[in-house]
Amino acid sequence: MSTDDPSKGATRRPASDDAPAVLTACAVQKSYQSGDRRIAVLCGADLTVNSGESVSIRGESGSGKSTLLHLLSGLDDVDAGTITWGEAGPTANRRARYLGMVFQSFYLIPELDALQNVLMASRMIASPGARDRARAKDLLARVGLAERMTHLPSQLSGGERQRVAVARALMNGPRLILADEPTGNLDEHTGDAVIELLLGLARETTTALVLVTHNPTHAAKTDRELLLHEGVLRAVRPSSGF
Amino acid sequence: MPWYFYLALKQLFPTGRFSFFTAISVLGVALGVMLLVLSTSVMGGFGHEIRRMIVDTQGDLQVRGVGGKVINDAAALQARLAQIPGVAASTPFAEGVVLLQFEDRPAYPNMQGVDVQQVNGVIPLARYVSIGSLDELDDDSIILSVQMALGLGARVGDTVEVYSPLILERLSSDEILAPRQLRVAGIFEIGHQQLDSSVVIVTLRLMQDLYGLGTTVHGINIKLKPGLDADETAARINQTLRGAGVQARSWMELNQDFLFVLQLEKNMIFFLLTFIIIVSAFSVTSSLLISVVRKTREIGLLGALGGKPRQVAACFCFQGFLIGFAGTIVGLVLGFTALHFRNDMVEAFTKLTSSEQVLTRFYQFRELPGYSETRDIVAIVVCSVVISTVAGLLPAWRAAKLKPVEALRSE
Ligand SMILES: Nc1ncnc2c1ncn2[C@@H]1O[C@H](COP(=O)(O)OP(=O)(O)O)[C@@H](O)[C@H]1O
Ligand SMILES: [Mg+2]
Repeated sequence: MSTDDPSKGATRRPASDDAPAVLTACAVQKSYQSGDRRIAVLCGADLTVNSGESVSIRGESGSGKSTLLHLLSGLDDVDAGTITWGEAGPTANRRARYLGMVFQSFYLIPELDALQNVLMASRMIASPGARDRARAKDLLARVGLAERMTHLPSQLSGGERQRVAVARALMNGPRLILADEPTGNLDEHTGDAVIELLLGLARETTTALVLVTHNPTHAAKTDRELLLHEGVLRAVRPSSGF
Repeated sequence: MPWYFYLALKQLFPTGRFSFFTAISVLGVALGVMLLVLSTSVMGGFGHEIRRMIVDTQGDLQVRGVGGKVINDAAALQARLAQIPGVAASTPFAEGVVLLQFEDRPAYPNMQGVDVQQVNGVIPLARYVSIGSLDELDDDSIILSVQMALGLGARVGDTVEVYSPLILERLSSDEILAPRQLRVAGIFEIGHQQLDSSVVIVTLRLMQDLYGLGTTVHGINIKLKPGLDADETAARINQTLRGAGVQARSWMELNQDFLFVLQLEKNMIFFLLTFIIIVSAFSVTSSLLISVVRKTREIGLLGALGGKPRQVAACFCFQGFLIGFAGTIVGLVLGFTALHFRNDMVEAFTKLTSSEQVLTRFYQFRELPGYSETRDIVAIVVCSVVISTVAGLLPAWRAAKLKPVEALRSE
């Protein structure tokens, strides 16, 4: 899957200057109407993520991190500014191949077992074949669920569910993974394991990762740390150079 | 298989789990389909039985003189008819209304004069004579229909008086009024309300005598070889006998009004019972709507995975279709099973309510008839599947309208 994409092998991380960034957000603005007041959540956020790079975003609760990720994923529309995925803007058609998403609550489909939940990602593109099945099994084995493939989400623990969600996000070999507080519902130990997995797999497959987290330890493990404050993104590490 | 069909299947029939929602929805549709199959088949059975009775009592075709003229040489015409391919047998008849009296009780039956030798080739009359016998019918006797005999209180061996229009005509020219005295030779029962209450049978010769017909007859009843279309053969006979002043018509044509009423009744029942499916479709709609609300976050996820709103809509619409499809199959199975055991069920029911007599008395059938027309079954299947699919439209629309972002945010 990921090896099918020739551009992927060419730009091993960190990105060279001439290759287009996996994700660019330019002067993104978003506000919500709340009663008779407009609340500006994002006022000119800029972000560039290169192939294979991992970026963490921190910010207070309600600062607009989830809003930003929704805009980056193309699921929501910006008020102003632009989002680009590589060469073009986000569309539903591109999303299945280009993007993997992991959420705080895992959003597994309760009627499907672990394997089928992972395969759901490739189903969005085409009926899964033997190769897809093998890949899904392989991914589940990588996240440590080789023995749990036929378990329904209700038969899995929180950490196991999130690992299924991680495998699902990686299934189509995406260029970019957006993770919105993936450890928010997990205990510390399990959370650490999931972050290790996510970072490790992303690094291996040269998938870029945008990780929204409250946990400084998790943030410290990424290539870059950003802070979302008052509607704009600021670099924390490496510092902006002042 | 596209993902939305796969997901629809899995949501209705989850792996390793039994879905009450699916079971009850399917059962609702199945009950409607079952009742439709059962009732249209029983109604169809009544129609079929009645048609069979009409053919049994009137033959497949009837040849009459054009414009009500009598047929002069019945034997010659019968000989010509016998040449026509498809004609199995024929028998002449004469008919007319008479005034019949038994111990001051009058009746105005339609009197049928039949040729005792030939009639059984066309109409299995002997089979319907339940008391007495057709063989005992001579020129001075009569066979009454059962309802008429009951109404008059006449029994086999009694003597009834018959006045024909000819006799009454003589009365007006001051001749002595002498009714024909006829002995009751038998009683017949066909199981057709109208025939059983208004028809009496005499010999053709007696009828010709009573109506002053001489040797002429009113028409000829024809029996066709099995498997032939009555209307087509009637057309062929009319072609062959063109210019002979006679016309052949099928029982279908002759009983058009009656068959129309029967069809109308069947259509009404179909229409009313379709509402059972519609009601169950409403429950499918509300259950699917609840499922859309319950699965809001998963619908958001499908968007995040790259699903489009109309694909999400297709997923829910397809669930309606699947419920309809499964319900129809279960309903057909239940319906035909019930149809198979209908008489046992009726028997049990009548025994329980001790109403065996009533059933046979009122409906004339000792057994509940059943006859399923392919056309009806196809209509039932199409109706229930279409209605169930339409039931999925509203939930589908609601699901498609959900914004993924809001869906993902919902708690
Ligand atoms: N649909 C909405 N309508 C109105 N306000 C919203 C909506 N979605 C988010 N908000 C507001 O936008 C702000 C940012 O929310 P969110 O992006 O979820 O923050 P975070 O993920 O950083 O906690 C919050 O104040 C929230 O109340
Ligand atoms: Mg959030």
